[in-house]
Amino acid sequence: MEAEDEQSNAMMDEIYSNGCEETARSRPIISGEQLDIEAYASLYQGRTKITRLLFIADHCDNVSMRLEALRMAYDEIKKGENTQLLREVVQKIDGRLGPNYAMDAAWCESVDRRAEQRKEKLENELNAYRTNLIKESIRMGYNDFGDFYYAHGALGDAFKSYVRTRDYCTTSKHIIHMCMSAILVSIEMGQFTHVTSYVSKAEQTPEALEPATVAKLRCAAGLAHLEAKKYKLAARKFLEVGPDLLNSYNEVIAPQDVATYGGLCALASFDRAELKSKVIDNVSFRNFLELVPEVRELINDFYSSHYASCLDYLGNLKANLLLDIHLHDHVEILYDQIRNKALIQYTHPFVSVDLNMMANAFKTTVAGIQKELEALITDNQIQARIDSHNKILYARHADQRNATFQRVLQTGNEFDQDVRAMLLRTNLLKHDYNQRNSRKL
Amino acid sequence: MDFSPLTDAMASKSYDKIADICDQLMLQVAADGVAFEDEWPYAIHLLGHLYVNDSNSARFLWKSIPSAIKENQPQVVAAWKIGQRLWTRDYAGVYEAIRGFEWSQEAQPLVAAFSEIYTKRMFQLLLSAYSTISIEDTALFLGMNEDDAKNYVQQQGWLEDPASRMLTVKKQPIVTEQKLDPSKLQRLTEYVFHLEH
Amino acid sequence: MQSVENLVTQIQGLSSSASDISVLHNILKAADDSLRSESPRLLPSLDQLDPSKHSLGYLYFLEPCVYGTITKERANTLVPIIARFITSCVAEQIRLAPEKFITVCRRFKEQVMLLEVPIRGVGPLLTAIHKIQASTEHLTALHPEFLQLCLSSKCYKTGLSVLEDDIYEVNQPRDFFLYCYYGGMIFIGQKRFQKALELLHNVVTAPMPTINAIACEAYKKYILVSLIHHGQFSTNLPKYTSSAAQRNLKNFCQSYIELANSYNTGKVAELETYVRVNMEKFESDNNLGLVKQVISSMYKRNIQRLTQTYLTLSLQDIANTVQLNSPKEAEMHVLQMIQDGQIYATINQKDGMVRFLEDPEQYKTCEMIEHIDSSIQRIMALSKKLTAMDELLSCDHLYLAKAGRERQRFDFDDFDTVPQKFNI
Repeated sequence: MEAEDEQSNAMMDEIYSNGCEETARSRPIISGEQLDIEAYASLYQGRTKITRLLFIADHCDNVSMRLEALRMAYDEIKKGENTQLLREVVQKIDGRLGPNYAMDAAWCESVDRRAEQRKEKLENELNAYRTNLIKESIRMGYNDFGDFYYAHGALGDAFKSYVRTRDYCTTSKHIIHMCMSAILVSIEMGQFTHVTSYVSKAEQTPEALEPATVAKLRCAAGLAHLEAKKYKLAARKFLEVGPDLLNSYNEVIAPQDVATYGGLCALASFDRAELKSKVIDNVSFRNFLELVPEVRELINDFYSSHYASCLDYLGNLKANLLLDIHLHDHVEILYDQIRNKALIQYTHPFVSVDLNMMANAFKTTVAGIQKELEALITDNQIQARIDSHNKILYARHADQRNATFQRVLQTGNEFDQDVRAMLLRTNLLKHDYNQRNSRKL
Repeated sequence: MDFSPLTDAMASKSYDKIADICDQLMLQVAADGVAFEDEWPYAIHLLGHLYVNDSNSARFLWKSIPSAIKENQPQVVAAWKIGQRLWTRDYAGVYEAIRGFEWSQEAQPLVAAFSEIYTKRMFQLLLSAYSTISIEDTALFLGMNEDDAKNYVQQQGWLEDPASRMLTVKKQPIVTEQKLDPSKLQRLTEYVFHLEH
Repeated sequence: MQSVENLVTQIQGLSSSASDISVLHNILKAADDSLRSESPRLLPSLDQLDPSKHSLGYLYFLEPCVYGTITKERANTLVPIIARFITSCVAEQIRLAPEKFITVCRRFKEQVMLLEVPIRGVGPLLTAIHKIQASTEHLTALHPEFLQLCLSSKCYKTGLSVLEDDIYEVNQPRDFFLYCYYGGMIFIGQKRFQKALELLHNVVTAPMPTINAIACEAYKKYILVSLIHHGQFSTNLPKYTSSAAQRNLKNFCQSYIELANSYNTGKVAELETYVRVNMEKFESDNNLGLVKQVISSMYKRNIQRLTQTYLTLSLQDIANTVQLNSPKEAEMHVLQMIQDGQIYATINQKDGMVRFLEDPEQYKTCEMIEHIDSSIQRIMALSKKLTAMDELLSCDHLYLAKAGRERQRFDFDDFDTVPQKFNI
């Protein structure tokens, strides 16, 4: 109990000091405060910028933020050639942003018309290449088609066109290009099984990949694992992303995301040793973490057992993480796992823990902490029992000798039963076989 | 029908043998084709099962009794009433069922013996299951009035807290034989030999 | 062709020594067909034979009489005759004609059932099993008949006497299925759920070419008893289970699987609703009693889980957690479980608390050592049996022929083999 008192006092101090520090720090993009949409959007380019903005517009409770997101999406779409998206956005804006953000039929018509012409041209070119059987030209032709479809939002056709270039690839570079294109489209479509398979295809090419490409592939693989709820694998991939990523992949992911996704997945799934060696002592990942100081701080807090502060950070980040197109589905699960890990680590060194203290440290009530502990004990994640009368958690020290005896007897009984059942089955089989044989004779 | 083994057992108060004797006898007379039901001492048979704490068998016996007998022999019904209370774990109800019937001269000693053994079982249960218990409940479990119950348990070292009318249970140290005779060691040697070859 | 009178004389003369009896057996075998045609005349001549001396001859005379449809009236004549014969016959003699003996006993069982006095058959059939059985390890065709009589006459305790023996030798799969099924029911009646599970499990996992009704009914009970005894049920069957059972059992027992799923939620109210809705189904399967036990076992399961988590807990909290109406009700449940040895705990009425304790067994007493010792002995004997069986099989030319032929098709692992680590 003594040790615990000291610890919780120390923790109280930490909470305050952490709080002070935070206000002094420059405001990062992903922080506890309301999302700065403009700064956020500036991290991305291309289609993902639009879809992320639209995602915010669909999931945010704040009306002015929604309109802001829609306005920026509208502007962004206008720079491209996707008329379908424009129609959708206009419908969502519903006139709330004034005449400048209304349906621009003339623009649509001209874009569509140009698209028709372009498509015709591409078709003619491709046909010509095919009659001439020039491999490289055919590849280019399909690739142009892929780009064309992608720009106009026909993701399925884009994917098919890119994949079709595969038969005409003559160098590793071509294959990498094909894979990267396929990965990009697959991520947009949410087809993460494709992502995984094209990542591994790209990694199998014989020539050494450029560091930036390696980094991109790690990001894509990380996203695919994240989507499949394989958080430990996702964490590993994100942690392996090299410093060469820079902003080179911002049509998919920003370096800030690498820090956030990787950090949270690691917290939720790594044990202490792994957290230390692969996250905290990871020099290249540290650079990513510098971009999102909250995540860096909360990881350090977690590792140094300042759970209250860690949970504070998590709580502050939550609203914005829920607006992230890739993370929002996993926030609750990751948070639960992180909290459980914290609870387990908290109880681990002690023979007994006062539930009042613990409830304090985890910002909940005694009844609440008791429920959480109950679930973890039932799940055999914490070896302890709760003295609900005195509100104390006692570590359970299994008596090795008794446990061994118990297990021996149990194993003996099982063996006994299994062998007898097996002998019986053998006899039945033997009988059946003999009978069939005698019938045959 | 020859009931002499049963009457002998009753006479020598070997109540724990009653159930087996009755079971045996019943199968035997049934196999001989005797229509035994009307004369069968069902009440004794039921009580015999209850005496050895086998309420399952008592229940099945009850189920096999012809309805005419259930209607005409109140003592059989009374005996089963005890079994029923045991079955539903109506701990205090068992005593009510015992007291609620004027038992025949023949059944009386067996019922008394059952009542006594049941009280002992209940005392053991309280001993293992409670650290403190109200005097009121103790009396119910032991089938006594509160003063008698208090005296009974105080003789076993239980303490009374007059303010709360609660009794603190005094656990009895469990004495167990832990000595080993040398033949066990010999066995152990054999096992090791067996494992190694 | 011998006359009945003549045969009677020969039986009387040739029933004392073993060599006489084998001569007699040949004579009787030769006369078997004619005896059958003479069956109406046989019953009266039985009076001239003594079942305790002329057992074989008596059996040959008795058997033809039990064929055909039997009226109640005829059953009334036959039942006492057969009962007396079974009780007094000489085991060595009747074992010369086991099929005949079994036929007689089976018909005897049918007759007591027809007369609605199953209890009349219980004693004789038990005797019959002991007489015909080569050893207690052999399952006879009479085992299931006996157990069925025990069930019908509510003599469950008597049924236990043959169930305590471990059976290894089986001739007829059907006998085995019924033996395990009825045996399971008897153990259920005596609330010996572990043994019941073992027998029912044997039925479900036995080799079978096609699914059968016994296996289905056994599986239903297996599900229910698993819930009552273990508080859980897994639909995974071991991999040695026949494919017929793997494929079909679940479909035939859908409402039971759903019941188990509902149980796994841990919510009593939900389970009760499910049972209410499907009441008729369970009732028509004669499983309503067990289903009710399943419901009450859920309180136990939920309390048992609390013992894993809590050192002390108030009766009020227990009542809340396991959905009981009052602390008093919770106290009664805890008390029952202590009485049945399902949990270790002490109730503190003064504070309204329960303290859960660890299993006090220290594995130090002589009694426990005796128990462990006997377990070791048992397992050593079993593994010797296993080795013997293994050697026997590996010398069996039928097996070798088959194994040689199919080596390409099967891995050795596909057969039931003894796990190496158990090979003591």
